This record gives sequence, C-alpha cells and structure tokens, in this order.
Amino acid sequence: MIGYVAGRSPLHRAHPYTPLAAAGALLLAAFAVSTPRAIGLVVAGAVLLALAGGTGRVILRPMLMLVLPTWLLLLVLHGILGGAPHVAFGPVGLSEPGVRRALVLGGRVTAIVIAFLTALGTVSPSRLVEAMTARGVPFGRVFLLVSTLTLVPRMRARTAAILEAQQCRGLRAGGSPAARLRALVPLVLPLILGALAEVDEQVLALDARGAGTNVRRTALDPPPDHVAERVLRWLLFLGVLGAYAAKFAGRGA
Amino acid sequence: MNPAVRLARVSFTYPGREAPALADISLEIRAGEVTVVTGDVGAGTSTLLLVAAGFAPRLTGGVLTGVREVSAVRPGIVFATPWTQLTGLCHTVAAEVAFGPASQGAPVAAVREAAERAMDALGVRHLAARDPVTLSGGELQRVVVAGALALAPDLLVLDDPAAELDPAGADALYALLPGIAAAGATVLVATPDHARAARVAHRAIVLAEGRVAADGPPALTLQDTDTAVIARMAGCPPPLPLDPAALAARVVR
Amino acid sequence: MNGYGVRLEGVCCGYGGGDVLRGVSLDIEPGEAVALLGPNGAGKTTLTRLLIGLVRPSAGRVMVGDWDAAARRPDEMARRVGYAFQHADQQLFARTVREDVSFGPMLLGRTKDDVTEALDELDLLREGEVHPYDLPAPARKLVALAGVLAMRPGVLVLDEPTAGFDRKHRALVAGALRRRVARGITVLVVSHDLGFVAEVADRIVVMREGLVAADQPARTLLRDAAALGALGLTPPDAAAISVRLGIANAPVRIAECAEGLRGARWNPASA
Repeated sequence: MIGYVAGRSPLHRAHPYTPLAAAGALLLAAFAVSTPRAIGLVVAGAVLLALAGGTGRVILRPMLMLVLPTWLLLLVLHGILGGAPHVAFGPVGLSEPGVRRALVLGGRVTAIVIAFLTALGTVSPSRLVEAMTARGVPFGRVFLLVSTLTLVPRMRARTAAILEAQQCRGLRAGGSPAARLRALVPLVLPLILGALAEVDEQVLALDARGAGTNVRRTALDPPPDHVAERVLRWLLFLGVLGAYAAKFAGRGA
Repeated sequence: MNPAVRLARVSFTYPGREAPALADISLEIRAGEVTVVTGDVGAGTSTLLLVAAGFAPRLTGGVLTGVREVSAVRPGIVFATPWTQLTGLCHTVAAEVAFGPASQGAPVAAVREAAERAMDALGVRHLAARDPVTLSGGELQRVVVAGALALAPDLLVLDDPAAELDPAGADALYALLPGIAAAGATVLVATPDHARAARVAHRAIVLAEGRVAADGPPALTLQDTDTAVIARMAGCPPPLPLDPAALAARVVR
Repeated sequence: MNGYGVRLEGVCCGYGGGDVLRGVSLDIEPGEAVALLGPNGAGKTTLTRLLIGLVRPSAGRVMVGDWDAAARRPDEMARRVGYAFQHADQQLFARTVREDVSFGPMLLGRTKDDVTEALDELDLLREGEVHPYDLPAPARKLVALAGVLAMRPGVLVLDEPTAGFDRKHRALVAGALRRRVARGITVLVVSHDLGFVAEVADRIVVMREGLVAADQPARTLLRDAAALGALGLTPPDAAAISVRLGIANAPVRIAECAEGLRGARWNPASA
C-alpha cells in the first residue's frame, strides 16, 4: 500500500518533518557509502525506520514489487556480465566486483524505497499541511507537495470507479496481453480527462477561498515540534554531512 | 445605491472557441437580492456567473469585451459537484470550512469563530470532526457552502448548487439564500430548477445563446415548472402558475 | 430485443461492515418499469449493483432472466443489463460523442444504427462529432446514457439519471425509457425526482434499512403525501394538482393531468 495509513506509532505521533528528514537522511547516506557492508547498515537503518513506523507489513508488498525486479536486473547486468575475477556459482560464473557493485546499487534502491514508503505511510497529509503552514511555507508549494503525496490513493480510487464503468459497457478486465493492452485506453483516458476537467473547477473554488494570495495562512492546529525532535533532525543532518566529508576525504566507508 | 455588478455590452469568448459564450449582455445585479439565471444547456448561465464574479477571464483565459464594474470585493463560488471543491488538504470538516478565513491570515480565534458560525448556518456543526471524504453528497455540499460563507462573501455565485442533492437537501439549501441576501450580500444562482428558484428568487434572468431573453420577477419569467407546463397545455392564460397551489387558485371551481 | 425479468430471493449483501441488504425479495416482470425510492443508506445502489454483477450477494439469489448474476462477470451481465451510473465522467474517453456512445455497443456486436437511434432519441445528433469534454456536464451525462441505450439491453438500470437536468432533458430521458418499456424492456430506476418517476414508472418499491418497506403502484404512492413525506419527498406537481382539484382517475403524469383540466375556466392571476 502506497500512501498514508493511520496509526499510533512513534513516527505517526512525531512532527511530520521528522520522518521525512529521516527518509531524506537515509537517501543521502545511501549515496555517501560505496561498500556492501556500509550499505547494509543503511538498509538496516531503513528497516528500523519502518519498524518504528509500524509499517513493515503494509509496505512489504509494494516494496518487493518495486525492489525485486531491480535486484534481478542488477545481478544479471553486474553479477553475471561484470568484469573479472569470476567465481563459479553452480553453472554460472559470477563477477566478484560485479556482485559487490550490484549489492551496493541494490542496497541503495532498497533503503530508499523502504525509507520513503515508510515516510509516506506515517506522515499524515493534513498534519504536514499544518506543519508547513505554521512554518510560513506559501500555500502553492504546500498544495503541490501534498497533492503529489496523496496522488496514488486518489488515482487508485478513481481507477476502480472507471474500471467498473467500462466493465458495465462490456469491457473485459484481464484476458490475453493483447486484450489488456487494448483495455488500457478506455481505462487511462477517463482518468486523465476527468482529472483535468476537475482541475478547472478546483482552481476556481480554491482561488475563491483565498488560496492564491500571498498572505501568510493561519495554522489552526500545528503539530507540536519538541526540542528533542529538532535536535534529532539536526543530528541526522550533521551525520549526513559527516558521511560525505568522510567520503570526499578519501576515507569512505 | 450602486449595483453590485454592472455589465454593459459585455461579450465573452473562451480560449480556442469561435462563438462567444456571452453576447452583448447589459445587466445590473443588485445587492441584497437573490437573482436566478437560467437557460438551456449551453446558454451561458455558468459563464455569466464566472464573469460576474471576476473569475473569467482572470482564471479561465478568453476574451472579454465591454464594461464590467463590480463593487463586490469578496466573491464566493459554489459549484454543482461537491468533491471537486474540497481542498483535499483538510481531514476534518471544521478545518475544511475554516480554510477560507485561515487563508486570510486571521487570528486563530477569529478563524474558528467564522467557521463555527458558517457550520451552524448550514447545520453541519455535528459533522465538524468527520473527514470530508466520508460524507454523503448532500452533507458535503452543505460543507462546501459553509466553506464559502465562512469568508462572509459580499457576492456569492452558485452554479446549480443542488444538482447532486436529494429534494430535502435541495430545499434546505435554497431556503438559505434569501437570508444570505438579506444580510447584504449579492446572491447569483444558475439553475435549471425553476420550481425551487421561483420560491426564493427576487429576480430571474433567462439566457438564450448567450443573450438575455427575459429578465424580471420569477412569476413572469420562469415558466418551466411541471405545473406551468400543465397549465399551458390545459389552456391557462399567462402568466402561468408555477406550483400546484397557485394553479389550484387559478381554476374556477 | 426482449426484456428480462429480475428476481431477488432473500438477498443479503454487505461491504464488510455488516449487511446493507438484509433479506430482500423482489420480483420484476419483463417490461415492467419500477422506481426504487428510499433514504440514503437504504440499499438502493447496492441492489442495482447486484444486477450487473459488480457485487455478489452473501446470501440468496439474483436472477436476470435465467442468468444468475452472482455467477457472471460484469462484462458478461452487460449483455443483458444496461447500467447507467450517476456520474458519467468516469467512463467518457473517446474523441467524439459518437465514438464514445459506440464503445459499448461495438463490444456487444450492436450496429451503427443502434448508435444513431440512441443519439437521436436524446437529441445528441448535432453533437456527434464534438469532444465529450467540450460539452457541459448535463450533456456529458446524456452522452453516457446514450451509450447505455445503444447497447440495447433487455434490462435498463439507471442511478439518478436526471440529476442536474432541466425539464427538457428530463422529458427526453423519460420518453426514451417509456418507448423501451412499450417494447417490453424492463426498467429499474433509482431517483428522487418524483416528476420523472411519475412519467416513467408503473410501480414504486420503497427500501428502508436494507429491506423492502413498501411495494405499490406508482399512481397510489405518488398521491400519498404522508407516505412520501416520511421519505423526505413531496408529491410531483401533476399528482398534487389532481388531488387538490379532485381530477377524475387522479392522474400523476403531466399530459394526463392537463387532459383532466381541459375545459376548465381560469381566474386571472392575482396582482
């Protein structure tokens, strides 16, 4: 499941910036390191984040769907087709540097996917809106970010309604690959056209309610931002800086 | 007293179209009144609302010619489909209704008070803690109107606001309009529902192909209720009665 | 084109939070026109979705002719049941009105004449080459409805088909449905537009809390202000007029009511 799932975990109750900062730090750390051992630590960090958010079970399937094909591709591209030396692995010769490279790249993707699925799953869009409003972020940017974050669940609901409507017109869901391909147009086009038609009205409605002004909006219920969390976010930031400093100083992990 | 909206020989053409949506319209809309605009599909009723409220051509693009003077400074707009008018960023009805006042940067207490007043006026205070996406169409439309009213608009335009509502909901919505006008606002409603319009409107304007075809008291200009059709078919001389009680009063027993 | 009967036998159906339908039995003969009324949450939409196979009953049977709707996919049921959703925009996608209206009929092996007939009935021939999204929302709803009519189903199921319509378009839809009923097609319509219900339905089934609460001839219920008031509804104009004036046979349709008033003398309108 991609998108916010209500809960009471420490991440759910934290200030919305905190899980996002943690996910961002993991993303940056993933690119700061270049050995399998170090990337293993970053992946472990991402898994810990998912456990702290109570999202492990919920994100498992989308995570595997996103990550497994990447691992397969990397192992073939680098592991099998990579350079010498080769190590026999059954009937296949695996490239040692290739496998190391595949582990690092695959580990990066895994860590980033887990971290961001967790952040998406634990950051409530409306709390994020209030947090950003309290910080004085202009509404346009708030709207853009939060609409993007909530895009998948909204589109999924719409797609389900469209599928039903087209089935009632005789469109068969499933079937041969050719049939599925033909079915794409009547499923995807209403999604896009309907969304575009609604945007016109939404723009007018939002404008009439003052969304387009430069006035600083009032945050009605800003989530509390405890000192400990702010310190934690700073530590994450410093940690990432340190990792890059170490990398560029030639003593990368 | 100056009219709230004055249009002198106004024509408006949407971008990319050849035929004007409004052609040579000259009208004055007065504050403190409920003015209904009606006409066949495509007659220009929605466009007239957008032009009067200043949303066209500012947000729609297109070409406006003629003179448009509007003394109203705070237009509010309500469309027929409730869910396209939600901000999508608020997870409670109270926050959704408060969105407008919050966008003006008013202090928290003032924002909450404006929202509570609007929710009371629309009878949705008991829904304050509910997530807007869980509401029925009728409840949602009342929340949307409350959201528009929370800004205390001096010009409120409503484009077929009861289209998605059941009869009781539609009656309740229309019944609010005279009160809003009596408080000093200008209320402009586009609707195909002559029966309900006749009950609340002070004035009715009928458009045909972008031009004014009739303009006057509802009893004389709105002639498209079922009762009016029955009366016409039965040979009743004009002006036709618009509701069963009025027809019964016209029949000599 | 023949109509099919619809039969529900002890049907229960829910969405996980408990049953919405709690043992509904209903028999609709081929060629009957039935309106379904009831408050929100009564189960009207759920009942209609059972007929097209979008939901399955947890108990009981749903038969459309000799087909068990629970045993077939929606695209199969579409051969017998034409379902018109309340919101049309979720299905429009073609470049022109005619192309979109043709989508369902072509999948079912219908002809171009079927498409033309449906467009003509709903006064859409002039808009045939227009992009659906260049039309206003009520016209788009008509396009979706034309697509359902052109499929020539034996059962027509319509969910709030006239929401947002003016009188003229409401009359177009009512006329199209009555012509089909005259040809033996079964019609089931969910609507709280009682003026429309009066013109289309011969029978009204009222649902409440997942059960059938009343099942009466349309003429009887539409004149009963008290019963309708309990549903938050008022009698349609023709019924109200015929009750007030004691018109013979108490008509509930516009033309019959006007006919009943023929020869009446009229007071001038008061100032």
